Amino acid sequence: MSLITRKTVGHPTPRIDALERVTGKATYSGDVHLPGMLYARILRSSHAHANIRQIDVSGALALPGVKTVLTHENCTVVWGSGSVSGGRQYIDEIKKTTRQKRYVFNNPVRFFGEPVAAVVATNRHIAEEALRLITVEYETLPHVLDQEDALRPESVKIWPDGNISLNAKNEAEPEVYRRGNVEEGFRTSEQVFEDRYTTTYVHNAQMEPRVCVASWEGDKLTLYTPTQGTSNCRHDMARDLGIPDEKVRVICKYMGGGFGNKNQNQDADLIAAMLAKEVGAPVKLELTRKEDFIGVHGRWPTTQYYKVGVNRDGVLQALQLRGYSGMGPYRKNSGAIGGVELYQCPNVESVVYPVYTNRAVSGNYRAPEFPQGFFGIQSMMDDVAYKMKMDPVEFVLKNMTRKSNDDVPYSNYTLEDCIRRGAEAFEWKKRWHAPGADTGPIKRGAGMSFMTIRSPLGQSSAVIRLDSNGRYTVFVGVTDIGAGAKTTMSMIAAEELDVPLSSIDLVWGDTDRCPFSVGESGSRTTDMTGGAVIEAARDLKKQIAEKGLPKGENALIASASPNPTSDGKVRKAFGAHFVEVEVDTELGRVRVLKYVAVHDSGRIINPLTAASQIKGGATQGIGMALHEDLFYDRRSGQPLTAGYYGARVMTHLDAPEIEVIFIESDDGYGPFGAKCIGEAGIVHAVAGVGNAIFNAIGHRMKDLPISRDRILGVLA
Amino acid sequence: MSKRKHDISRRQFLEGSGAAFAVATVAPALAGPLSAADLPVTEGVSPGVPSTAIRLVVNGAEHRIEVEDRWTLAELLRDHFGLTGTKIGCDRGECGACTVLLDGKPVYSCSNLAVWADGREVQTVEGLAHDGHLDPLQQAFIEHDGPQCGFCTSGQLMSAKGLLTRNPHPSPHEVQAAMTGNICRCSNYNHYVEAVMAASKNPKTSKRASGHSTASNAAAEVSATKRRRGASTSASTEGGAR
Repeated sequence: MSLITRKTVGHPTPRIDALERVTGKATYSGDVHLPGMLYARILRSSHAHANIRQIDVSGALALPGVKTVLTHENCTVVWGSGSVSGGRQYIDEIKKTTRQKRYVFNNPVRFFGEPVAAVVATNRHIAEEALRLITVEYETLPHVLDQEDALRPESVKIWPDGNISLNAKNEAEPEVYRRGNVEEGFRTSEQVFEDRYTTTYVHNAQMEPRVCVASWEGDKLTLYTPTQGTSNCRHDMARDLGIPDEKVRVICKYMGGGFGNKNQNQDADLIAAMLAKEVGAPVKLELTRKEDFIGVHGRWPTTQYYKVGVNRDGVLQALQLRGYSGMGPYRKNSGAIGGVELYQCPNVESVVYPVYTNRAVSGNYRAPEFPQGFFGIQSMMDDVAYKMKMDPVEFVLKNMTRKSNDDVPYSNYTLEDCIRRGAEAFEWKKRWHAPGADTGPIKRGAGMSFMTIRSPLGQSSAVIRLDSNGRYTVFVGVTDIGAGAKTTMSMIAAEELDVPLSSIDLVWGDTDRCPFSVGESGSRTTDMTGGAVIEAARDLKKQIAEKGLPKGENALIASASPNPTSDGKVRKAFGAHFVEVEVDTELGRVRVLKYVAVHDSGRIINPLTAASQIKGGATQGIGMALHEDLFYDRRSGQPLTAGYYGARVMTHLDAPEIEVIFIESDDGYGPFGAKCIGEAGIVHAVAGVGNAIFNAIGHRMKDLPISRDRILGVLA
Repeated sequence: MSKRKHDISRRQFLEGSGAAFAVATVAPALAGPLSAADLPVTEGVSPGVPSTAIRLVVNGAEHRIEVEDRWTLAELLRDHFGLTGTKIGCDRGECGACTVLLDGKPVYSCSNLAVWADGREVQTVEGLAHDGHLDPLQQAFIEHDGPQCGFCTSGQLMSAKGLLTRNPHPSPHEVQAAMTGNICRCSNYNHYVEAVMAASKNPKTSKRASGHSTASNAAAEVSATKRRRGASTSASTEGGAR
């Protein structure tokens, strides 16, 4: 499908802020230094589950330079987005009705690393020393780490309501989806297969650890914090502190990644704000890397039981998922397990239990519910194809979704194009072989996976001002987590206004200067805020046509807060990944040799940064497949691998070349037809790697990560 | 604590670090007002804490400064010299975001004490641009979209700089090996390697390595960057180095 060529959109464009990023001039939250600023540190629980009998802070307070200490005894602020019934994190009303409330400091503490106290002092070394002078008397309680174990009757109840996390109505019920009748479907199936898959907790591990600087002028708080959503962070802060929104200013000029764990406000923001208020001076609160690993959140671990029925032609008749998601002891997100929506099937049942455990809290990490679910279901289906003696690509083409939930049409549909194009570019027929057929100690194998991911439209805002000097200033509430939103927004504005990119100035990342933005999460910025930029540009063009260009001290100002819909159709981005691996059967080592990623994310606004998104997503997915894990000691409930080395994130030497192919289409919605991209690269990467390993060694690896010891284990 | 050697004043500091801030004079101004981080930071040592007077060269300028013995080099650079381009990602020698050159070799500045830099020469990302023009590595990082979030970028640049200084024409695998101590969680490894390979092929790189400063016009280089931003059609989106 060929799209019309545009002047700015669609051309690979270096980031408008690249110069600041390569010269060290970009100002991240931790680089902010205010006069008279104090430093804060957090003392964290050294038990997975315990009642705090007593806290003695007198030793800390006696240390010269220590200003104050907060604990659950003198701070009872509720952190609204830290625990939300049903994990409906963006619905303000539910934060008010949530029964399982999370305080900034909780007693009992429910995970190793939960904040117990916060100290502010004249410098970070004194603050650190003060933490060692606080004595906490704990009464330890039994703990439970695994999401299935947590539902056994003998397991400790982490909340009085039990360990099934409460839904949006405060009921202890699983999340259920049904269509057709699975029991009937299994009865009429030719063959039925069952299996169990597990995925582990992996951390976002963004390079910039959480840090914030809070400063009060009178009754107004200014918070420099790395947040993916300045607007939702401001509102969360105001609600939790009981002050009006306009009394909070959130500034985030640059941020060092987040992948979901810097959305909304975090407890660190509240702690810094309260300490700054208490001591009457600006406060910088820094989290160490270990604290960031265990104290914020990562991807929820899952246990997935599948039952799949097919007819003799390998066509799906029934599909059932019973899943358990480990949320840690607080519910920050849904705990859903994505995947059943990928298949066309008359009878489907998905029952997923979000479960409380005493692990680190789970929450958003780049496509929150998809990589783990897609790994489980696409491994399962790859296995069904194998057992039905079918080529996995043929099986997918036969059974993949063609309408949303077999019912509602997609706004356009290019999934089949993605798969066929990928198979061709990868030379699937040449590389794929009978599983385990490769001889010799080093075995090659090929695997494929595919995806659809939501790409909804929705509300956001933009303002554009045209001055008499011909400069167009675009005001948007984005923060540019690293995806390149500042450049994308500028390109969209330049295109719609039909002016060179160099005439655009951008104002971003400051709630006092920018209008509401949906926040950089859920791959929504290009679609939603980009849509608002287009609407504002159209309004500005209309004003110019009516009033002429501004002269002298005059200016024209246009704004838009559109809330578009896709007319009842479901917007999704599509993609397919093809992976070739090499497994050293003597060492258990897996190397990715070839990786082809085909994506349709609609119109690609900036091919340069879009390629970075897909490559980065796929590479993170390979790490999740092969080695990333926050590993716990079962007996003590302590995390053992909280850090880059321990959690084994991808490095330069691990990273293969990712070939990216964009199939561009225009469904008539979104800015110039753009769809979501930020999460698209990771969602099916894990499944593709797993399937390639199966093809190499002929053994199905059902638990993540597919580490060396596990591979050697099945081959032994 | 030796008061005698504690002789650096704010004025001397600002004069001495002129080279470090030279980049700002050619870099386009950041959008928005001057932020607090643009102000130099000159916090001194705490009373009663063991400290040592050291001399070191930072980005070509010599400094004498009293440092607390517990300060890391990263802390000294960021909090006391205001060179916040050096980032702290883990503070425990795992991620490489804090990489600087110590006597020309890449080191983790979080894992070096400031006192160990006594008598030595430190180069940070702020010292990469010369005479107002970008290092070829910086230019290549921009063109190949090396930085996504940018937090690891300074460290990646300094490791790459250390590599190209000792090996001006590395293979892609040598680039990966030299930079594998620099984690990029955005995982833009492909683009970083492409950028380093491109810079290694830039004739200016070898000239720089031999200490030759070209007379090319600084303004021309910056305006070329601006032009590329305006309507670039040349950058490659896929494939590349390996």
